[in-house]
Amino acid sequence: MTRWGKWRENSLFLLPSVALTLALGIYPLAWVLRYMFYEYAGYGQETFIGLDNFERLWRDDDFWASVRNTFVFAGGKLLLTIPVSLLLAVILNGKLRGKHVLRAVFFMPTVISTAVIAVVFYIIFNSYNGMINQLLLTNGAIAEPIAWLGPKFAMLTVIIVAAWGAIGNYMLLFLAGLQSIPHDLYESASIDGAGPARRFWSITVPMLGPVMQIIIMLAIIASLKGYESIMVMTEGGPIGKTEVMYLYLYKLLFPIAGSGTPVDQQFGYGSAVGFATALIVGVITAAYYYMSRKMNKVY
Amino acid sequence: MWKKALGIGLVTVMAASTAACGNSNSNDKESAPATSTASATTSASPSAPSGEKKVIAYWTDDRHDQEYIKQVIDEFNANNTDNIEVELTVLSENYNQSVDIAFSSNQAPDLLRLKSANTGTFVKKGYLAPLDEYMTDELKAKFSSVILNDVNVFGGKLYSLPNSGLTLRLVYNKDLFQQAGIANPPKSLQEMVDDAKKITEMGKKDGVYGFALNFKNPKSAFERSVREILSLSGYQGLGFDFKTGQFDFGPYSQVIEYFKQMQDDGSIIPGAETLDIDPMRAQFAAGKIGMYLSFSTEPGVYKDQFPTTINWGGALAPTLDGQIKGTSEIVSAGTWLGISDKSKNKDAAWKFMEYMHQDSILTAYHEKGFGISVVPSIAAKAKQPDIAGMEGFLVGENDSLWPAAPSVTPEGANYGDAFFKYVLSGGNLQDITADLNARYNDALSKAVAKGDVTVTPDPAFDPGKL
Repeated sequence: MTRWGKWRENSLFLLPSVALTLALGIYPLAWVLRYMFYEYAGYGQETFIGLDNFERLWRDDDFWASVRNTFVFAGGKLLLTIPVSLLLAVILNGKLRGKHVLRAVFFMPTVISTAVIAVVFYIIFNSYNGMINQLLLTNGAIAEPIAWLGPKFAMLTVIIVAAWGAIGNYMLLFLAGLQSIPHDLYESASIDGAGPARRFWSITVPMLGPVMQIIIMLAIIASLKGYESIMVMTEGGPIGKTEVMYLYLYKLLFPIAGSGTPVDQQFGYGSAVGFATALIVGVITAAYYYMSRKMNKVY
Repeated sequence: MWKKALGIGLVTVMAASTAACGNSNSNDKESAPATSTASATTSASPSAPSGEKKVIAYWTDDRHDQEYIKQVIDEFNANNTDNIEVELTVLSENYNQSVDIAFSSNQAPDLLRLKSANTGTFVKKGYLAPLDEYMTDELKAKFSSVILNDVNVFGGKLYSLPNSGLTLRLVYNKDLFQQAGIANPPKSLQEMVDDAKKITEMGKKDGVYGFALNFKNPKSAFERSVREILSLSGYQGLGFDFKTGQFDFGPYSQVIEYFKQMQDDGSIIPGAETLDIDPMRAQFAAGKIGMYLSFSTEPGVYKDQFPTTINWGGALAPTLDGQIKGTSEIVSAGTWLGISDKSKNKDAAWKFMEYMHQDSILTAYHEKGFGISVVPSIAAKAKQPDIAGMEGFLVGENDSLWPAAPSVTPEGANYGDAFFKYVLSGGNLQDITADLNARYNDALSKAVAKGDVTVTPDPAFDPGKL
């Protein structure tokens, strides 16, 4: 094939992706970059206000509280998700009867809608007639219902729910990584007298390094951006205790009015918040990728 | 290879264009609303529309009357001689957002359910078509006395006609009140606090609590409770002062103190901070809640949605000091249907709208208890709804329409979230109130300057004379 023919063929294959990226990624992004210097409610006049939206962002305590909540949520979710999914992957990669069924079972939450998962967990955790409180009350473990979605425990609860929905996915990625490790290494180590723990720490973990680096990066991004289950379970409440930054952003662009009086959309300020949140996620991801570069070196 | 790639590319383009064509017709029966919240659609004639047939898409967020509305639409579809077919889509949450998305993506319905709270915004966004050209002398005579500025009329143009309104009441479990030794529903907020405490002390061991509201969305919860308490006490229920033309959350904060007292007493059902309205109603229907405040949709809810055997009733909301100094605001009144400015079938939409506003349908709407008629000729002849509990919600001498308060969007937390934070975790209520006044009045000044809102102070405003 001539060079020109190769170029045409490559271009044709690239065309759909490039067109979709331009239409659904770059074009909206250009509008966000424009609107963050404007005040605009989605109708009427667009008013250029310079850097006022960023000045408001700087003194917006609710936004910075949502950033703090995001770090707590993401940190908690990562601490639960990564070790548990790795452990499950190691167990289900071994000689275990019914491991294929168990893999499917643990992966199942990943294919269920986040909204459905959140509704189910709302029913399980709610204070007034939730299954957990009913169980504890019936057994006499508690005298009064615990407000699992109240100000004290709401963040813990939404972390557990988010982790439950994510573990299967990362377990599958770890399994793929584990299956790429040559079996000879384990056999040699066993002959040399290495036990299961030594084999795990000296072979499995280092050999999983490159995969783990990517998995953790994906998990960090997903955790920082996650808000769907929180929106269904608590709408960011009570009193902002579970308000993460993407939910805060969502509410600026699509206010949740309930049956109350409507609230205007804030496209201008929302764009500034969107830019800031993207910057935060980008910086954290890049920092992680830089700091974890050694994980990419497999001996 | 090149031919193969071209073939795949062509198939992809054809598939995409087929899908796009399938979604381009807003009147297509298969086309979904812009969000996935649609919960029901209806159409009487299943046959494929001919070239002449005009299909009118009608969106509503009313669920309580959907069976009746489906029935009247089916009758219209079967009997109209203009070859018009109306398709009803009932949306649940986030109705305003769905409408926004539909208009921005050119998938707007032809007819929309309007509430007094969203009509002004929809007019400002250019969603609605004026109705003035359609108004006959007969219609003007029928509705003129209840057509209000900033409710039906904006900028001198008419956008909607009234049907019914909703009263707001204290909803209480008579059995629990009796068991706790309380003879009557509370007339003052202090009585409400005391009653809630008594009921909780009596029933807590069985999971019964004195008070509840849907605090998952505090603004929504307060707008069905504090709003009514304030209007009956002589203050505008959303924090606006008609006399000064400014926001003043001082009276609001007085009510909030009593809510905080109930929270501190442990009289509010545990988990209320994550309760939506329907789970809360389910708990009330199960006899677990002493009282709450809500709209006159509740009798219909306990008849169809959460049938209950408990003995319950509606009563006037308590006031700040037990004295009635204002009137109970009839809300969501004055508007019902509106025609989309983007509709290609405005005349057909108007024919259906005219059909919906005929006496027989408005009368049946009232008599079935879906709303309380505010049209004088209907209210005069319609029988009272025969639904358990409705007697407590009927319009009486203490009910009236209030002027519309301006709707603004302040920077930072809205008053619902700010006050609920105080209820749950305390703080300095004076500072919170001053902060709300400053932020809401700042937003009001900006909205006035932009021409989005007009405010005329009325020093002679007297809520007792409404």
